[in-house]
Amino acid sequence: MVQLAQLLVNGLVFSSIIILGAIGLSLVYSIADFANFAHGDLMTAGAFGALVAAGVLGGDPPTLFGVTLPSLPIPGADIVLFELPLALYVGILVGMAFAALVAVVTQRFIYEPLDAGSIELLITSIGVALGYRAIVQLGFGSGQRTYEIERTGRIEWLQDLLGIAVTPRDVIILGLTAVLVIGLHTLLQYTTLGRKMRATADNADLARVSGIRTGEVILAMWVIGGALAAAGGVFLGLDTLVRPRMGFDILLVVFAAVILGGIGSVYGAMLGGLVIGMAHELTPAIPFVSVEYSSAVAFILMVVILLVRPKGIMGEVT
Amino acid sequence: MSRHVLEASNVDSGYGEVQVLDDLNLHLDDEEIVCLIGPNGAGKSTVLKTVFGLLSPWTGSVTLRGEEIGGVDPADLVRMGVGYVPQVDNVFGSLSIDENLRMGGVARESGLDDVIGRLYERFPILDEKRGAKARTLSGGQRQVLAFSRALVMEPDVLLIDEPSAGLAPSIVEDVFRNVQTVNELGTSILMVEQNAREGLAISDRGYVLDQGTVAYEGRARSLLDNPEVSQLYLGGADYE
Ligand SMILES: Nc1ncnc2c1ncn2[C@@H]1O[C@H](COP(=O)(O)OP(=O)(O)O)[C@@H](O)[C@H]1O
Ligand SMILES: [Mg+2]
Repeated sequence: MVQLAQLLVNGLVFSSIIILGAIGLSLVYSIADFANFAHGDLMTAGAFGALVAAGVLGGDPPTLFGVTLPSLPIPGADIVLFELPLALYVGILVGMAFAALVAVVTQRFIYEPLDAGSIELLITSIGVALGYRAIVQLGFGSGQRTYEIERTGRIEWLQDLLGIAVTPRDVIILGLTAVLVIGLHTLLQYTTLGRKMRATADNADLARVSGIRTGEVILAMWVIGGALAAAGGVFLGLDTLVRPRMGFDILLVVFAAVILGGIGSVYGAMLGGLVIGMAHELTPAIPFVSVEYSSAVAFILMVVILLVRPKGIMGEVT
Repeated sequence: MSRHVLEASNVDSGYGEVQVLDDLNLHLDDEEIVCLIGPNGAGKSTVLKTVFGLLSPWTGSVTLRGEEIGGVDPADLVRMGVGYVPQVDNVFGSLSIDENLRMGGVARESGLDDVIGRLYERFPILDEKRGAKARTLSGGQRQVLAFSRALVMEPDVLLIDEPSAGLAPSIVEDVFRNVQTVNELGTSILMVEQNAREGLAISDRGYVLDQGTVAYEGRARSLLDNPEVSQLYLGGADYE
């Protein structure tokens, strides 16, 4: 029982990362109409963006392209909240802004001028992914890094109360993901921009005919998708390591979540992310199945659900 | 130079390499209802798409009150007082009725709630279902919503593609009455219709389109009375 609860907590943490990636991938699919293979590397870009910003703003600047960056510590950079220093919180915001900018620039200067179909854009995005990754490797080398935060260990009173190990880092990942998901939901449902995004995803021609500037809506979508991808990337980096291949390695799982949820449905992507993330982390609880098979179990579950609901959990519903 | 509200002159247009419109000429004047009829595949929808910037004219010009609008983005045309109700996929199925109307008014600077309120008064069915998803509406209700979505901008010129397609005869009458009412309130209307007789009956003038070009044009009454038009395009039988 306790062990299962522990796996559930781990599952929620991993699901949070997948959900943040899946939302952006699904938004791109529904509004820009292609499967963006560069989305994983956008997560990487956000993770490294946060790493750089947290270093510079925390007074411990990293070396980028062989140049040591200036140290510009912000007041209170070392104040620690839930294990993380203030500089890293600001770094997360900078990383989100950076990935959003990268996404917008890519849209404006690569995808938009191409004016191509879904397949051409998909192939282009593979090239874009390689480009992002090459730049990250040139800048940082191909080694792995961390946010250099000491793990303070589990939260004692939760350990005593429930017997499960929850770290402050887990709490931060879950809490911030909840804030971002609720924020996105509010935006989509209750703001004019959100309605325009849903209208454009539903029927782009009718959106233009109604007077919606769909080009602007698509840019807004890239901003949101990029920012959330970055948050997912940072959380992945906090949970594991910050590596140039981190986003690429997780992309397949993110795709599985999007497909499972129903391609192009943002809420489906959230649900798909939850299911896939849980399946991934609950694998050790299945008798005779070892942890190496986590991804395989997640994919098998995806296939089984798609056999029952070919359009995904929320396909044709949202 | 004539100051038609809307004018297409010597327009060729089509999809990719495929030409559909061939030297098309037509115009719409203030206060008019003009009906565009013709066989399936004649290019009627293509005319509206070309006028509304969903397609760019290959040659020739499209003008709005004398100003060239060929290839102008639909989102800009909406702001210039032109509205368009497509033939198919003309509501946002996954959005509520209310959201559909709000999307119709994104380009309005003021008075959105007022104008939507008036539409609700005029079409109580929309009011009743304002929170429901548009895809749950019946065909007739959907057509009312599509029409209302375009009216939220209070356009001077409205392009409507087959408003009566697929509707029961009793509802068709309502649809045409709505078109007439909007026209009486000051909107010039260019309408494509398959129900040619009924369409012409509420129109001032008409064009018969065949193979992408105008085969006949004239007062609606005289088209209805023209034996050739009647024989070839109005199903013949009804001609007295
Ligand atoms: N999206 C499209 N792509 C290619 N050809 C099209 C498209 N839409 C219509 N057509 C072709 O253009 C011609 C005219 O179509 P349309 O304007 O829809 O006719 P109508 O509205 O008079 O029935 C037809 O031959 C049709 O097959
Ligand atoms: Mg048509």
